[in-house]
Amino acid sequence: MLMMSRREGEVILIGEQIEIVIAHIGRSRVKVGIRAPREMPVLAHEVKLVKDENLAAAKISAGAEITSILKKINSNASSFCVTGRKEN
Amino acid sequence: MPLAQTINFGTISYHPDAAICFPKGLPAFEERRNFVVLQFQDSAPLTFIQSLETPDLCFVAMPVLAIEPQYRLEVSREDLEELGLASDRQPRMGVEVLCLTIVSLGESGPTANLLAPVVVNIRNRKAVQAVAGESGYSHQHALFAQEVVAC
Repeated sequence: MLMMSRREGEVILIGEQIEIVIAHIGRSRVKVGIRAPREMPVLAHEVKLVKDENLAAAKISAGAEITSILKKINSNASSFCVTGRKEN
Repeated sequence: MPLAQTINFGTISYHPDAAICFPKGLPAFEERRNFVVLQFQDSAPLTFIQSLETPDLCFVAMPVLAIEPQYRLEVSREDLEELGLASDRQPRMGVEVLCLTIVSLGESGPTANLLAPVVVNIRNRKAVQAVAGESGYSHQHALFAQEVVAC
């Protein structure tokens, strides 16, 4: 991995179209400005993790998998306000 | 009571108060805005976040506090504004907001996404999936880490 030291206000260029500005350096975080072509997605890494996790979660079906999760749950979580009813 | 078509549960009726709206969708499902939160007696505390637009889209979830009673909520200022809540403090779980964690099935069993809880403003039913980048929570928190495999 290429490592570079930059001061506040300095810029890094990636190729011809991507520009990264070190906008502000705080005590424990930096604020970074990114200029990139609109079609190029720019994401915080954790958002990518959540996207992938949501895609995986959407594949669980209400059949055997849920039943097996239920069997393992030994929780006394109190139920909350909203309920649904299955119509026959 | 309004009805919804679902793949998992057939046709369901739900209380209008159980309908929630994600104004920005969820990561990877940005176009899906309207869902209903369902809990059934025989499967509580599992909670289902069922799309009202896509019958086969349903997230399995659980109340965050059922998994992590000491959970520290970390909702960004931007998300708090989206929810219509005061943006200078964290909302109270169970009082101002409902907090659910989406469950998925990893190779070694079910996991809960504590990195990004679904946060619902109880008053206006607006919802966000709040990505808590600095919280230190895992997106794949093992639900049954204490389970011992018999040999």
